Amino acid sequence: MNLAPRRALRLRLRDLAAASSFAAVALSGSLPSYVTVLFLASLVLSLAGRRPFASRPVWSVLLLLGMAVIVFGLAFRGVIDLVIAAVSFATLVTGQRMLSEPSPGTDQQVLLASLLLMAGAAALSGDVWFALCLLSFGVFACLSLGLAVVEGPVERDEDLPLAPVMRQVSIGVAIALVGGISFFILFPRLSWNVAARRTGPGLLGGTTGMTDRVRLGGGGDIKTSARVVLRAKLEPNPGKERLERYWVGRHFDSFDGREWRGTGTPGEAKPRVMLGDPSQATIQRIELLPAYESRTLVGLEHPVYFGPASALNNGGTTQAMLIRVGDEEVRFAEDANAYTYTAQSRADYPMLEDDEAKLAPLTRLPETLDPRVTALAQRVAGDARDPEQIGRRLENWLRNNLEYTLALPGEVDDPLSDFLFVRKAGHCEHFATALAVMLRTRGVPSRVVGGFFGGELVGNRYVVRAGDAHAWVEAYSPVRGWVTLDATPDDGRGSRPQALIARLVNTYEQLEELWRSRVVDYSIIDQWNFVRGLIRPPNNAGAGDDERPEPTASRTRTPTRAIVVALAAALLTWVVWQRLTRRRAATHPAADFLGELERKLQEAQIAFLPGEDIEQLPQRLRRQHHRLAEPIGRASRRYLEARFGGRPLSKAERRELLNALSGVPRSG
Amino acid sequence: MSRRPEWRSWRRTLKVTRVGRTYLVITVGVGLGALNTGNNLLYLVLGFLLAIIVLSGVLSERVIADLKVRRMLPEGAFAQEPFALRYEVTRKQGRAFAVRISEAGGVLAGWAWVPTVLAGQPVVARADMVAPRRGPLRLGEVQISTLFPFGLFEKTRTFPLDETLLVWPRRGFTCEPPDADHGHQTGELGNQRHRDGSGDVQGLRELGDLEDARGVHWKKSATAGKLLKVEREREDRKQYTLRIGSEVPGDQLERDCEETAALTSRLLAEGNDVGLEAGGRRIRPASGPGHERRILSALAVLGYAIPERKP
Repeated sequence: MNLAPRRALRLRLRDLAAASSFAAVALSGSLPSYVTVLFLASLVLSLAGRRPFASRPVWSVLLLLGMAVIVFGLAFRGVIDLVIAAVSFATLVTGQRMLSEPSPGTDQQVLLASLLLMAGAAALSGDVWFALCLLSFGVFACLSLGLAVVEGPVERDEDLPLAPVMRQVSIGVAIALVGGISFFILFPRLSWNVAARRTGPGLLGGTTGMTDRVRLGGGGDIKTSARVVLRAKLEPNPGKERLERYWVGRHFDSFDGREWRGTGTPGEAKPRVMLGDPSQATIQRIELLPAYESRTLVGLEHPVYFGPASALNNGGTTQAMLIRVGDEEVRFAEDANAYTYTAQSRADYPMLEDDEAKLAPLTRLPETLDPRVTALAQRVAGDARDPEQIGRRLENWLRNNLEYTLALPGEVDDPLSDFLFVRKAGHCEHFATALAVMLRTRGVPSRVVGGFFGGELVGNRYVVRAGDAHAWVEAYSPVRGWVTLDATPDDGRGSRPQALIARLVNTYEQLEELWRSRVVDYSIIDQWNFVRGLIRPPNNAGAGDDERPEPTASRTRTPTRAIVVALAAALLTWVVWQRLTRRRAATHPAADFLGELERKLQEAQIAFLPGEDIEQLPQRLRRQHHRLAEPIGRASRRYLEARFGGRPLSKAERRELLNALSGVPRSG
Repeated sequence: MSRRPEWRSWRRTLKVTRVGRTYLVITVGVGLGALNTGNNLLYLVLGFLLAIIVLSGVLSERVIADLKVRRMLPEGAFAQEPFALRYEVTRKQGRAFAVRISEAGGVLAGWAWVPTVLAGQPVVARADMVAPRRGPLRLGEVQISTLFPFGLFEKTRTFPLDETLLVWPRRGFTCEPPDADHGHQTGELGNQRHRDGSGDVQGLRELGDLEDARGVHWKKSATAGKLLKVEREREDRKQYTLRIGSEVPGDQLERDCEETAALTSRLLAEGNDVGLEAGGRRIRPASGPGHERRILSALAVLGYAIPERKP
């Protein structure tokens, strides 16, 4: 490859390396938008071969200094975090160098600045995308550096075979990755992972639509969203693929005919909130992702305790305080990109109200209520007196007589009457509203609950999607307390994402789970388990260490076995390596040609004299005026040139030379 | 010069390049960040950075370990003037990339660059070298360096390759030429040694750079497209014998040698015969490139004790 395409390739690889490191930072969502725009513009210009700063180096440096003043000024004023400011500046430096005069020195500066970006990305994000970006950055940067090194200090317009260089560097990068992973696994962790920013704000923002009110009207687009908003690790783990349970977010107790809202009063911020007796409760380690974008805590039905919580922000991980808002919800005191907390729930908890006065507002009806709703409730409830029985009858009627739909175009004046008597179709909010209002017409205290329904097991954690957002009803029974009722047909409760998207999201979640458990949360305990597993592998994977103690004799034998296996593996590697290198040394292309040439000579019954070599043979044949002297002379000369003179032999030439020896009558 | 012990032929030196220094600083920074924060992603980046360092050492060793170098010395070289020194580089197996060849100890300034060496295919690389001083220059060791694979470190292997390069005096300043050797240009008119450029035409030859243009055969030159000088029965060349009196090594001798070398080149280019008397050695006046090299070689060893060549 000559100079121009070689240089273009080197610059392209350099730019791709820079783009990879930028992607690692940008995917965390922490980078200011103007920095993102500036870098993308630099990347596009550089890939197009335009370098406006090449002729204006001083101005470009002054511009960069100006940007530095702006970025670090914002950090000084507390608008952005210092780490983000540093990463932003590194991004701008990378862009500036990309648009400067290309040279091996400039390339190295671009790659070093990109390396700083990768380090910054490691501090800003814990997503699995980081691994992909690190991998691509490593490959592109190493290839670009390798090309620059082979190019030498002075670029020469001569033909250089780049394939061997690329092959060698690629093998080297693969080995470096293996070495890096080995180092990662074995290097002793001397401190706990305290400063990792596991989650950035993300690029897509929030999608749940979890708000402080539920307004009837409009479609249910969110049901098709496959984005994961919540991850929860349950103890004990139910082990079911689909959990099919309610995740309670907030309660809405006041309805004005068009929208539901809460009437609770916020209490003081505390690190923990106790709602009931947490004994024998299901413990949930919950992570609310940026897609959730709400401050309301979520827990399996019925949450009795919300424990210590952490807020994941651009500034790092901090303790989050919790605020109880009456019986309406428990919310975080401050906004953050994501949250982690512990919740405890008891499905069978008797949610009895101590204060009957609290129930009075939960039977209030909107002033504009259509009398047909009351009549319908009376007709459906019939002679039932027990609140739970009334609720079940109404629930069954709604589920059996009305249809679930997400297509609800246009606004109507009375959405409840429209749902019950005109369209006779709606989504979960319509069903929940109808049920709650009809319960209230029968004097049963009721409220609408907003949250999620579902939970899908991915790895060892349950994930909840944005499309799992749901609304249902709680009705109060003096005997059983708050009873859950859900009039929405079964197929309308969970999410309805496209199958392919759901599968892709699941695959991503599995990768993310693997990444987090094996990389992000890797600790000295994991290291200890890993080393112990190497030295002392368990005899039975199904049995735990505590359940099944190993015999003493086995413990003493196992390390020896491990050492023997390691030595055998090393020996095997060495033998394979020796074989490979020997074969490569023996198979010079010209040597094959010599073999074919000798075979042709044998066919022609021409033998070497003792001590005679391929160079001397044609000389002797010429002296003897042998008819094959000339073709043999040409072939032997080309062989020597190809073997020792650096002039490779093409296939066509090889065939021509050998054909010249074929078809000639045998010599006597 | 004493002979170096055998083990030194295996020695390696490692130099951190400028980008390598920055790389190391970043690596240390990432390492400190990882240790302080416990951030596993920083550990991952650190692992990759350290693996790259180890890999650089391994791959660079593979590049320079199996290389064989042979010098292709010129007959001589002028001091403080660039000259071409060629190296033939070979390896039996594997490949080598980004190889830089130079003389150890800085005896010659300059280096040769070889982008790639494939197994069994010798590569000849040219280095533009500069010898610092006149005299026989012993080239004891060759250095093979490489920045491969990433340019972070420069690994150098030094091995013995003993040869001597004859360095001719620098051709710098020239003064007025000495008087011609009159004795050779006088005599009777019919004497062959009477060099007056007369007699029958013997042939034509190309005019030298500084030769008198009066002897040009214009018609033949126009036909041939280059300046041709007429050679006659009796030559018109002047003969000069250059002499160096002092043989004491020092600045004076160096200046004399440089001046004599410059004069030799100039007088020969003007079409004269030049001889030399120096150091008890006498070279009869003659012309031609071979004769110039003979004089230059005599000047190169002047003042240096060299073993007498046996007949």
